[in-house]
Amino acid sequence: MPKHPSSGKYAIVGLGVVAGAQPGRSERMIAAEAARLAILDAGLTPKDIGGAIDLRRSGGGGDRANYTDAFSRVLGLKNHFYFVCGRGGALAGLGIATALSFLDRGIVNYVCLMGAVTDWSQAQESKKHGHRGMDHAQKRGYWGKPLGDQRAVSHHSWMAARHMAVYGTTSRQLGAISVAERAWACKNPEAKMYGRPITVEDHQNSPVVVDPYHLLDISLVSDGGIAFILTTADRAKDSPKPPAFVLGQGFGEVSAELWWDKKNFTHMAVAPAKQQAFGQAGITLNDIDCCQFYDCFTAEVLFQLEDYGFCKKGEGGPFVESGAMAPGGSIPVNTSGGLLSCYHLGDLTGMAESIRQIRGEAGERQIKDCEVVMTTGHGGELLSPGMCSIHTCTLLGRHA
Amino acid sequence: MSNEPNVIISNAPWKKPLPNIDEDNAAFWDGLKKHKFLVWKCKKCGASYWPKAYCQNHENEPFAANMEWAEVSGKGKIFAFNTHHMAFDAGFDDDGEFIYALVELDEGPLVSSTLVGPKKPKDTYDIGQRVEVVYEDHPAEGFTVPRFRIVD
Repeated sequence: MPKHPSSGKYAIVGLGVVAGAQPGRSERMIAAEAARLAILDAGLTPKDIGGAIDLRRSGGGGDRANYTDAFSRVLGLKNHFYFVCGRGGALAGLGIATALSFLDRGIVNYVCLMGAVTDWSQAQESKKHGHRGMDHAQKRGYWGKPLGDQRAVSHHSWMAARHMAVYGTTSRQLGAISVAERAWACKNPEAKMYGRPITVEDHQNSPVVVDPYHLLDISLVSDGGIAFILTTADRAKDSPKPPAFVLGQGFGEVSAELWWDKKNFTHMAVAPAKQQAFGQAGITLNDIDCCQFYDCFTAEVLFQLEDYGFCKKGEGGPFVESGAMAPGGSIPVNTSGGLLSCYHLGDLTGMAESIRQIRGEAGERQIKDCEVVMTTGHGGELLSPGMCSIHTCTLLGRHA
Repeated sequence: MSNEPNVIISNAPWKKPLPNIDEDNAAFWDGLKKHKFLVWKCKKCGASYWPKAYCQNHENEPFAANMEWAEVSGKGKIFAFNTHHMAFDAGFDDDGEFIYALVELDEGPLVSSTLVGPKKPKDTYDIGQRVEVVYEDHPAEGFTVPRFRIVD
């Protein structure tokens, strides 16, 4: 397949990760530190950075709301632009698409994209007041709030439930996803759940939070920050680390068709995103060496495996049960441990892992001869009564 | 229609998040207070929407001028449901386990609320039961919330 002229013309040349609990640190200081590490990793200095994009969950928590307190100002970046970009967990994919416009027109040479959260630390504070989990990030104005739709799990679990009822998927099969990601996390010293392997029995015995979801179907609450530097392919040649070339990107919205067809509870908006991204890159599914799927809950992984075509629709359950996505399986998925077992920084968790896999920096979990990696993002709002969300697909390659 | 009354009157203090009543859905909430279940309907083709939307079948007039709120039966069937075992908001601490269901109205749209009444699905795979709306009045608060109950 012929590539789109833009394919391989831009690359990620720097990565900065601040992982683990960060008590006593604000989001903006974590953000600034991640950005400092990314600039250093790219062999650059702050004066090289022409613009900064602050990847932020819209509508969520966060203490960086005041523009004058931007991480870029804290770090002393004397950039030409700084703004906020993101929709729920869809951060890196949207940020890359936006940054390319500035690079394409020669407005700047390097863009720093960064996202940081302090959810874990804030959840510890909430606990002291008798609340559970992400109380601080409580969104207002949803239809279901007074009726019991308290958190993401209140409506995401419908997706698992509907898939189970329509296709016969079982809780144990969803558990296989959790177990596979945990096995990957046990190969990643940076992962929250490193050294803590689980079995399907552990999944089944974990508390039922919102049936059919057990605790081990639900992603982590984390602190941390991830920054990366995007530039043009010609500049990337001078980078000290192997560049990760942007081969293609695609986007899909549940609100386009799935919401109206009521398929948004068993499908994600993968079809248009896949067509766009793979079309630009001129590749097929067979070229993908590993996937970093957005995995806020286990069923989202199942949907994406089916919707991208790694298995037939409705057959995701037996597919994951066979170990296909686990270490040694046919399609490694969420090799860092993902949001379920590594840490939850939106799609930046997957993007950081994709960059490391492309560079060959993934240690014990490194995929052999890793040439092309897919990273997805997912985020949205609760348009009554179902999630209306974006799906983003970014293909990175070792070669332009 | 079952023989059970389809109105619950609650005088307990409301500790949960308040309904989000705005200019787009105020008529719907007013309807609930009058024990009428309204959907947003196209005058040209009869297509029903909830929440409010421009009709997808026509190039509509500005501000969806050919649309109106219309009363429907409030009947439908269970599309999917879950069972909450934990409270994440202090307002739900006293509720215990509850079923939060997606209901596909006979007119098409999906609406969500909790199930009330003695009948419950036997497991996650058990969907499609006929349901009808139950109006839960909160006179002291000045609003009515819709619940659903299984009728077959």
